[in-house]
Amino acid sequence: MNVEKLREDFPILKKPIIYFDSACMSLKPRQVIEKVSKYYTDYTACAGRSSHKFAHEVEIQVAGTRKEVKCLINAKRDSEIIFSKNTTESINLIANSFGLKPGDEVIISDKEHNSNLLPWLKLAKKGIKVVPVESNEDNTFNINNFEKAFTENTKLVSVVHTSNMDGVTNPVKEIVKIAHNNNAAVLVDAAQSVPSKEVDVQSLGVDFLAFSGHKALGPTGTGVLYGKKEMLEKLDQFLMGGETVVDSTYTGYEPEELPARFEAGLQNYAGIIGLGEACKYLKKVGLKNISRHEFKLNKMLSEAFADNEKISILGPKDPEQRAGIFSFIVSGMDIHDVSGMLSASRNIMLRSGAHCVHSWFNKRGLKGSVRASMYLYNTEEEAQAFIDELNKILKF
Amino acid sequence: MVLCLVALPVFAVLSIFSVKYRKLTKEAFDCLFKTVTFRKCRSGLDNRIRAVLTGRIIRLSPGIAKIFYKNYKIFSWVLFILLVWSFYVSFIGIHNYILYGNCNGPESSGFCIFDPTGSNSRISEIDYVIPANITYPVLEDDDPIIGDPKAELTIIEFGCYTCPYTKNAESTVQKIIDYYNGRVNVQFKTFVIPNHPFSTESALAADCALEQGKYYDYHKLLFDNQEKMNYDMLISLAGSLGMNMTQFTNCLEDEKYKFEVQDDTFMGLEAGVPGTPTFFIGKSKVVGPKPFKTFKNIIDEELKK
Repeated sequence: MNVEKLREDFPILKKPIIYFDSACMSLKPRQVIEKVSKYYTDYTACAGRSSHKFAHEVEIQVAGTRKEVKCLINAKRDSEIIFSKNTTESINLIANSFGLKPGDEVIISDKEHNSNLLPWLKLAKKGIKVVPVESNEDNTFNINNFEKAFTENTKLVSVVHTSNMDGVTNPVKEIVKIAHNNNAAVLVDAAQSVPSKEVDVQSLGVDFLAFSGHKALGPTGTGVLYGKKEMLEKLDQFLMGGETVVDSTYTGYEPEELPARFEAGLQNYAGIIGLGEACKYLKKVGLKNISRHEFKLNKMLSEAFADNEKISILGPKDPEQRAGIFSFIVSGMDIHDVSGMLSASRNIMLRSGAHCVHSWFNKRGLKGSVRASMYLYNTEEEAQAFIDELNKILKF
Repeated sequence: MVLCLVALPVFAVLSIFSVKYRKLTKEAFDCLFKTVTFRKCRSGLDNRIRAVLTGRIIRLSPGIAKIFYKNYKIFSWVLFILLVWSFYVSFIGIHNYILYGNCNGPESSGFCIFDPTGSNSRISEIDYVIPANITYPVLEDDDPIIGDPKAELTIIEFGCYTCPYTKNAESTVQKIIDYYNGRVNVQFKTFVIPNHPFSTESALAADCALEQGKYYDYHKLLFDNQEKMNYDMLISLAGSLGMNMTQFTNCLEDEKYKFEVQDDTFMGLEAGVPGTPTFFIGKSKVVGPKPFKTFKNIIDEELKK
């Protein structure tokens, strides 16, 4: 993987910045930008409604993206790919359509993003029980606690694949096995994993998987919900509107086939088409290469501060278990001060705060952490610059 | 909170020019409002400002950045005190401009942001050190009075016939006399500007005209013809007013009123006149061709006494 050559594809990297906030939003390669722009300049139209040339082109392009996504996560069928606005909307779709009843239980981990916590907490008001599983001390997933969390009422497990807070990847394959043995379905929040590692939904055996396009080089406002065909067919429709039904009368309607029944209203065609290009780009670079590259950079950072008493790294010490995320707290210093100083001194763009995992930080009485999240376009020089600048601050 | 207080006016001014500062201004205001209403300010604006400033200083010197970061509260208070001080100075400046036409007060001819061209304050300066203990000028019978001689208040003007700023002030002087309709008059004392050609000669000529009872018309003609001032013109202007030319020419050539002119100039120097025109209204000094309202404010106060 030639990072320097690859960086030429990202116009924004011509600016003098060190972008370490890809866990929130990835930068976009020229190919994706051009693809989005092409929709608006060459064939702006609706898909699935009109029958003119432009509409056909949009349909072809959207179908192409569905195929690209299917290949990216190795789904069995194109129809198992549902486009949404983002991971949050995908999870909300399941929360509102899965048919949970009062008394049913949903298991989650103790460090879920609000997107995979709040939809369930909202259901808790209707009598559905939300069961968080406590992690190990080093923030890795505790399988024993997980197994103990099941009851006969457990209907769904909804866990994060790779945590946006500390980069720890949960053992989804094992989780799925245990859940299925307990007759529970599994939904995986793969917002951080799909952009950075090979995710094979068939091999993992997940029932549902959600991720966002904007973290995977794709445009904003694009997301995906993968579901096994038989599971998707059991779901109630969530959002209703244009293209979700075959026919309707004043008293009823006939739902569309998959995946259209879950894609209500006019879609973000430009974004979806751009997402297809992003998937192509990721496959071209190779997700294994991306994982390796992220690990190499994270290793640099982790080793540089391993013996520094002022730095506490969130998650396990081994950087291999933390993907491209280096999340840390500097003792005696405000997290926003650290990120603000690094931004002002060297244009190092980080995120500081609770990273939408307020529940985990609140339980520990912490305000949050500073997070450096690296991606395929970051270089070792950038990692070294970060180390040098942070070292200056640590002398304060 | 202290820094939010400092940031509020700074961002407010910047937001006039750039929309990105409007959000920060609102944040600073919200923070201040919450603090004064005993609520917690959660914006973190002061922390962000601290981080950004520290980060910028790191580029120059990590050591200084460390000192700044550690002593941030002290720096905040210093900035706050500077803010209060600058508010005070600005208020005084605006107050002075409204009252006297110059931010620095009636006695100044220095730069004022509200009068960038210095139209209210420019004077023909002379190079000398103003004495520490000034002696206020006095009215003299031998100097001409413009306006009603029985007026309640006499303004003493130090001016020069070759000075363009004294000329600029002429319309204001006339307006004062007209406005106060007999209650205020002006005694004009010639103040020689050494580097102005014909400054002394024109002062002497004016006194020669006074001798023949033609002072007021000659005074006006001198200013009207200021740009083409020369010795022959001093004489021809006297001729145009029907003066006795032999008497006038002799008076001018003999420098008959040399000591009178020198006395007036010396009186001005002792009174701390920095240049022309300079006016004395009671104990108040007005430097430069200030607008009418400046004079009016001072005259009204003097007339009340």
